[in-house]
Amino acid sequence: MARVQLTDVTKRYEDVTAVEEMNLDIKDGEFITLVGPSGCGKSTTMEMIAGLTSPSDGTVMIGDRDVTTLPPKDRGISMVFQNIALFPHMDVYDNISFGLRLRDYEKAEIDRRVDDAAGIVQMEGMLDRMPDEMSGGQRQRIAIARAIVREPEVFLMDEPLANLDAKLRVHMRTELQRLHKELETTIIYVTHDQAEAMTMSDRIAVLNEGELQQFAAPLTCYNEPRNEFVAGFIGSPAMNFTNGDLTGSGFSSAHYDVTFPTEGVGISPGTPVTLGVRPEDVYPEETLDDAADPTELIDAEVDVLEPMGDEIFVYLMLAEDTESGMGGDVSGDDTLLMSVSPDSTLEEGDLINVALDRAKIHLFDDDTGEALVHGVARATGASADATGEEAE
Amino acid sequence: MSTDTSRTDRTDRLADIDGYRVGLYVAIGLLVAFFLTPIESGFVTSLKTDAAVGNTAPYLPPLFGGFSIANYVTAVEVLARGMGNSLLFAVPATLLSALLGSFAAYGLTLVDWKYQVPILVLFVAGVFIPYQAVLVPLSRLYSIVNVADLLWFVWAYTPVSVQYADLVELTVTHIAYGIPICTVLFRSYYTSMSTEMMEAARLDGASIRRVYRRIVFPLSTPMFAVVLIYQFTQIWNDLLFALVIVSTGSSPAAPVTLKLAGLGASLEGLDFGLRMAGAFVAALPTLLVYIAFGDEFAEGVAS
Repeated sequence: MARVQLTDVTKRYEDVTAVEEMNLDIKDGEFITLVGPSGCGKSTTMEMIAGLTSPSDGTVMIGDRDVTTLPPKDRGISMVFQNIALFPHMDVYDNISFGLRLRDYEKAEIDRRVDDAAGIVQMEGMLDRMPDEMSGGQRQRIAIARAIVREPEVFLMDEPLANLDAKLRVHMRTELQRLHKELETTIIYVTHDQAEAMTMSDRIAVLNEGELQQFAAPLTCYNEPRNEFVAGFIGSPAMNFTNGDLTGSGFSSAHYDVTFPTEGVGISPGTPVTLGVRPEDVYPEETLDDAADPTELIDAEVDVLEPMGDEIFVYLMLAEDTESGMGGDVSGDDTLLMSVSPDSTLEEGDLINVALDRAKIHLFDDDTGEALVHGVARATGASADATGEEAE
Repeated sequence: MSTDTSRTDRTDRLADIDGYRVGLYVAIGLLVAFFLTPIESGFVTSLKTDAAVGNTAPYLPPLFGGFSIANYVTAVEVLARGMGNSLLFAVPATLLSALLGSFAAYGLTLVDWKYQVPILVLFVAGVFIPYQAVLVPLSRLYSIVNVADLLWFVWAYTPVSVQYADLVELTVTHIAYGIPICTVLFRSYYTSMSTEMMEAARLDGASIRRVYRRIVFPLSTPMFAVVLIYQFTQIWNDLLFALVIVSTGSSPAAPVTLKLAGLGASLEGLDFGLRMAGAFVAALPTLLVYIAFGDEFAEGVAS
């Protein structure tokens, strides 16, 4: 168990910078996830923590030690890999005990630790099996047991569930959380799957193009994304974005307007901004009462329905807002995704009115992509600085 | 419905046999005959008496009392010592060239350091050096580095004859000549090995040597089968290096290929039956190696 600190860690290759001045302070016993699209630098960051890659700049601390130049084996870490990487010619016992045998532990101590680890991953009685006799899930458990047995201070997991089928993956998520509770070890987990990140971690670090976008609790990233990238990456299906302008009376786009006092937004009216709203914060007229603070009605046509069982995703085509005719960019902006309850009677082709929940509207600066506000107040309200949480 | 289908299938198959397939099988049959006739002729000839060899067509089996295994008895008598000599250098040369090639390939593939590519290029170039090009330098080298003098204590204190120094030279030569091809073969195998597995071993604290011994070497078995079979066949059958280094079939240390070259040749002409029998006897060890490592060989070639 140890705190892990990355200070200004940078990895430059000849032509690209894979990781740019990464600063992370991971608390002792925390389960954190590095998440981002492929090529965002999450695996490189993990490799630098593991010592498999050395940073071009910056320092890596594990516990009280500066491990920046230490070889992987001396860092007190163990790692679980995406393609599992068991030794195919060794049985389960030999695989799990490999590291201990290398370090010349006593036979009795090795046996005790292997039994413990096998127990934790619920693979007792399988110790003499060969890897190719086991299923993907079992193999991944063995790989985890191999990591546990060394009693590391930090666990590194590089997309360990990516090669498993969907059902097993969901099951293993719970297993990993149970494991974390049991061992209370710091876990650093890498994934490109935001759902995995959301469900398992204490905090998630969202990365894009080698830079840290936000490092916060999953729900904070969800409700108060720091910028447009985080807003679009976290949450499935993704947040709706509409390009428009900030006006004196609120937000205006080619398709709809939202009125709110603009004093608290922090930038002057007339500036281009992007409005973001999640599908579940768009309401059809009939359930408008569920919204904390519905906006003005927006004309829309139901384009496609996607019934998911527990909810229905409704793809809406927005009508051109002829009255204001404002907003620069029209392209790709004329759709809105809405999620409604499964008992909705909407049909494809229906012309309906929808509204957004003011309290759940996010505004992003078009220049920087930074979030300006999370949730806006009613036009008559005093402050526009209300956050999403207040509305809940 | 299903009977209809099967009837159509059968008709289709018959239609196939009528046309394309007849041609295909005829072609295959001719190719088989083309490749097997020399071996068949050699085999039947080896079983004929001297008279029968002259009186019957080469590819016909021995008939009318022309059958004899005397050729084999003579061949074994003459070649036995040569085969022993060949084993003496072929086995260590095969094992060492395979092992060193595997080391080199591991170092060039799974261990990270600079300038691997230029060194790999040297190895690849080594594969393409023709035997003939190194013959003169080779004989010069062994006239400068006199193995017989260097190992004087062996000949002085053991009953081994000094001519066996030639076999040491042959061993070293074959190892050196075999390493490049072995390296290239092993490298192609190692590049497909999972790097995550190596990283896992490194994280567990395994040194480069340990990773080789505990993981890479045990997983190389199929490739070792391929390389051992290939190298053993090459070294066992080599005549050129033997001619240059040992030079005469009358040496007590002469390998089987030199002995075979002189077998059945005399002023009266060639004894074809004896020569054929000798060829089969001399080919036996390579055949045995093939059979012994057959399963691993198939696995290694497939990968």
